[in-house]
Amino acid sequence: MTIYLDNNATTRVPREVVEAMTPYFGEIYFNPSSMYESAKQSAGAMEAARGVVASFVGAPKTSEILFTSCATESNSTAIRGAAMANPARRHIITSTVEHPAVLALCEELEREGYEVDRIGVNERGEIDMKAYVKALRPGQTLIVSIMAANNETGVVFPIERLAAIAKATDPRILFHTDATQAAGKLAIDLTHAWKDVDFLSFSGHKIHAPKGIGVLFMRTGAACRPFLYGGHQERGRRGGTENIPYIVGLAKACELSQKRIADGPRIAALRDRLEAGLKKIPYVVINGEGAERLPNTTNAAFHYIEGEGILYQLDLAGICASSGSACTSGSLDPSHVLRAMHVPFTAVHGSIRFSMSEETTEADIDHVIEVMPGIVANLRKLSPYWDNEKQAPRETALIVEKS
Amino acid sequence: MAWQYSDKTKILFMNAVNGNEKSHFGELPDADGVGEHGSIACGDAMRFYFKVKKADNPVDDKIIAAKYSTFGCTSAIASSEALCEIIEKGEYTPIEALKIRNEDIVQFLEGLPSQKIHCSVMGAEALEAAVADWAQKRGVDLEALGVHLQSKEDEGSRLVCTCFNITEAELKRRIVELNLHTIDDVIGALKAGGACGACQHAPGGIQDLLDERWGVQESLPETAEKPKISPFQLSKQIQTVIDEDIRPMLADDNGDVEIVDIKENLVYVELTGACATCPGASGTVQYVIEKKLREKVDDALRVIPV
Repeated sequence: MTIYLDNNATTRVPREVVEAMTPYFGEIYFNPSSMYESAKQSAGAMEAARGVVASFVGAPKTSEILFTSCATESNSTAIRGAAMANPARRHIITSTVEHPAVLALCEELEREGYEVDRIGVNERGEIDMKAYVKALRPGQTLIVSIMAANNETGVVFPIERLAAIAKATDPRILFHTDATQAAGKLAIDLTHAWKDVDFLSFSGHKIHAPKGIGVLFMRTGAACRPFLYGGHQERGRRGGTENIPYIVGLAKACELSQKRIADGPRIAALRDRLEAGLKKIPYVVINGEGAERLPNTTNAAFHYIEGEGILYQLDLAGICASSGSACTSGSLDPSHVLRAMHVPFTAVHGSIRFSMSEETTEADIDHVIEVMPGIVANLRKLSPYWDNEKQAPRETALIVEKS
Repeated sequence: MAWQYSDKTKILFMNAVNGNEKSHFGELPDADGVGEHGSIACGDAMRFYFKVKKADNPVDDKIIAAKYSTFGCTSAIASSEALCEIIEKGEYTPIEALKIRNEDIVQFLEGLPSQKIHCSVMGAEALEAAVADWAQKRGVDLEALGVHLQSKEDEGSRLVCTCFNITEAELKRRIVELNLHTIDDVIGALKAGGACGACQHAPGGIQDLLDERWGVQESLPETAEKPKISPFQLSKQIQTVIDEDIRPMLADDNGDVEIVDIKENLVYVELTGACATCPGASGTVQYVIEKKLREKVDDALRVIPV
């Protein structure tokens, strides 16, 4: 049996979602732009889905919801589209802990001549509000793009305040938030609390819809050019025939998610149970502890050992998780998020993320707590930074830690 | 988008297609007014005929029959039927008939999908041309009677705002005539772009037309209220007021305040101590600090809590 604790990476698609989608692969295959009566079923299903998604994020108008292929496309559309629509503004603000979908795009825009300010975080992963305020430039800042919740640590950013400060500084500064991790875990209300947010992105596959469908909320009047040019779809804001089965699946997942948000306290209790269990192991730190966090995410740093080895042994025990370790990243760099939080190198590489969903049970958590001490002990035995006799770090490790 | 036509629209269309006797499709060989609008190039064209019961004074002629032939979509044909029915029922004079707007046709059809509204406009335009024809044949000087026919320059122009059916030509003309500089100006004057908003920044949309006419506007903050004193004096004086007037007051409640930054007329403050955790404090304190700073330093100042 597999214990799946990697829900921030992707989620299982439940039967209800698959069943909702199935007719739109088969008998209802019509292009929603077509004119015949049958095509009404496709067009109608899409517009009904748009309504469900709009209410899921509390959008004032249904027409403000655009369907995209993924959150990465939504992010690129919002940021690049805003840049194209506002050529006089050349300054962008983001954070050091964004997802690569925003960071890599900002690096590219920097190469194109934009100025980018990246706001740092403290050791709990909370954004530096003062640095943010200082970075805002009335009359010059094009867009602020700051995520609603961090994918690695689950730390939640104060989007309402960040957006309000940007608009108070200059109402023409656009505000974008990548809410990929927040959607389905926190209630989002773009009509009231988040009324100053112009663009919001999220993807379906983090909320139990399939991969390949994303959403961009684009507030009426927010200056933005299309990213994909083409037909009249999405009122000319995103060309390309609409992905009806996935749009329908996404709407179903949003419906089911409403329930999941209410389930937050139960999941938070599971998270707290996991963290209390893990902290019984010596030299374990919970990254982001003390900050406001998503209910489902635990990022634990096991000092003096390497995360890939932990994941391998967890996998043997039937547990799926992920790591901020360099060896798992593909780029051979350790997590930029944990580095930005000044987590020492001796812990960054040994950081493991457990991310739960409403399908996670107490038994799952207890199993992790049971196997983890042995896994950590096995690896520490091999570590040059660990003194097996004293069951404590060697002095060399402490030097590395301070560097 | 698939069809979303009202039953009324479908019935009128089917009457015409089936040659039902209720249909107004056909020609009036001895028509008193004939007008055309549209062209095959733009996909919609209508020829409209009416016959009048002649009066001694031509101005009092009453329309007694109306017919049409239309090249166009379902809603264009239904709109043509609607126009003929409205005119015959109303027993209008040709000049009275000019008051029929495309909204009347849409209403008669019990609504049209937003992207089909322009079909209803064609009828009104063809009617106008037919009235002009009648006026010429009967020697009526419309201008002298104070009747102005709409400009023909918008004909066949690309539709920009599909919600309110406003074309590129009309927008371009109005932007100059009414001296419209911003999207808000356009929405205020013409409604264009004011419903779904998608055409505001679309390629070839309202912003593009504004930029084309006025040039790309340099982005300036709308809060261009500048303090009257130098930045150095400003920050010194603000600090003094905060230290001498505000902090002692907050200290009574174990609170404190710190200036985070000052940008032109914007003062960013962070509340600390008891104020930071007191719900509702930020609004009150913002107001109190702002009032004091405006009174003692510069009345352009605004306080933003961080």
